[in-house]
Amino acid sequence: MAVELSTKVPQAVSGALHEAPRKADRRRWSERELIVLSWLAPLLFALAWEALCRFGGVNPQVMPAPSAVLATAWTLVADGSLFVHLGYSLLRAATGFLIGGGIGFGLGLIVGFSRLAEALLDRSIQMIRAIPFLALLPLVIVWFGVDEAGKIFLVSLGVLFPIYINTVLGIRQVDPKLLEVAKVTGLSLRGRIAKIILPGAMPSILTGVRYALAVAWLALVIAETIATTKGIGFLAMDAREFLQTNVIVLTIVIYAAIGVIADGIARALERRLLAWHPNYAKEEGR
Amino acid sequence: MSAAVTVRALRRRYGERVVIDGLDLRIETGEFVAMLGESGCGKTTLLRALAGLDPVDGGRIDGPAQPSVVFQEHRLLPWAPLWQNVALGIETPEAKLQAVAALREVGLAGREGDWPRNLSGGQSQRVALARALVREPRLLLLDEPFAALDALTRIKMHGLIKDLVARHRPGVLLVTHDVDEAIAIADRILVMRAGRIAASYDVAAETEAGPAPLRGKLLGELGVTLHHRAA
Repeated sequence: MAVELSTKVPQAVSGALHEAPRKADRRRWSERELIVLSWLAPLLFALAWEALCRFGGVNPQVMPAPSAVLATAWTLVADGSLFVHLGYSLLRAATGFLIGGGIGFGLGLIVGFSRLAEALLDRSIQMIRAIPFLALLPLVIVWFGVDEAGKIFLVSLGVLFPIYINTVLGIRQVDPKLLEVAKVTGLSLRGRIAKIILPGAMPSILTGVRYALAVAWLALVIAETIATTKGIGFLAMDAREFLQTNVIVLTIVIYAAIGVIADGIARALERRLLAWHPNYAKEEGR
Repeated sequence: MSAAVTVRALRRRYGERVVIDGLDLRIETGEFVAMLGESGCGKTTLLRALAGLDPVDGGRIDGPAQPSVVFQEHRLLPWAPLWQNVALGIETPEAKLQAVAALREVGLAGREGDWPRNLSGGQSQRVALARALVREPRLLLLDEPFAALDALTRIKMHGLIKDLVARHRPGVLLVTHDVDEAIAIADRILVMRAGRIAASYDVAAETEAGPAPLRGKLLGELGVTLHHRAA
């Protein structure tokens, strides 16, 4: 059938658009080369840092060499303590994320669907949101003491708002034209939510998740400076007491690494859940 | 003949402005009716009222509770494969089989697992047609469904829709701007003006000597005068 042929057209067109900017480059860089190149700068930076520490006379008390940090990491891995601390931190982050994310998503659904719920809840939620949640730290200590509960509360609070706001926004932005289709196809309320509203809101919700992951991590760093004996934050505080700069730097590197990994997970989630979305599907090649 | 839909003394206002003013209409089962009219004459408002998408301010509509609608845009869910788009709202175990069959009928056999973004405009509109017809509607409402397509695709779609309507025999109301389109596919052409039906033409009877005279009449109804050069 002649019409079948036209299937190829959009792909060919998008392919051509994709290629166009490349022609400006003198040389065509392959994807793999580009990935290698993107790692080159951080690698050079680490090498320069190492050289400066060894031959530039930088006081290791101020800035330890990468090799010294790696050696510290190895010691902590060998005696197993790094995993214990890491485990505690991840568990706090995950618990806080699930609680705060769950509440934020739930509230977001209610407010997103109901103008009445919006009138009742949204203003209060926005007022609480206006508080920099880290400013609640002293109050959190009074309320929950210095136990796990306070730390998890702080993480939950930080996570709640980005998820809430993006869920409401996502639901409200669902194309009303598609809701008309639901009406003329006799779709049930349940079907409407499951097949149109939630998938339509998903890009926005996942943006919230990605942002919330970063906030969770930030909240954790602060929460773990409260009196504690386990966790990456404790490791840093303890090292400060004894001026173990290499351990301090190590904890910073760990925080950074986990932030990158969390973002990677969020991206993977986007690619999987938004496979239908042209913007996200294209990222697969990157 | 039984009526697919009967409309009596329909009224619809937007504030002070009366858009539909005591309109009467009857469409028979299997009858293909095209509605022409200038922009803002109320034809889309009428279609949306029949679809149950907009409320009415007076009059009666006797027709199926759930007519099928094809809009100007395909309105496919971008996150659902084609068969799920077609089967939307059908909750029987045979939904997928029916959807696959409907896709085959519109010339998209084997494409049920595809995503809407991989389709051309014409193909997307075929899926929208499959979504409308898989429900075996008694009334099919078409709101300028081919207006956004290129001329060649539009001609192919005209043939397809005629075949499909002949096979499924719903009553059809096609709202369009395109006089030639109306003549090509409709049994009866109505002209809507100032919220009422101003004229009705039986296409078979009017085109016995070719489509040109009817075309001229319809354009005249729509306020277009053709300037013929003196021979």
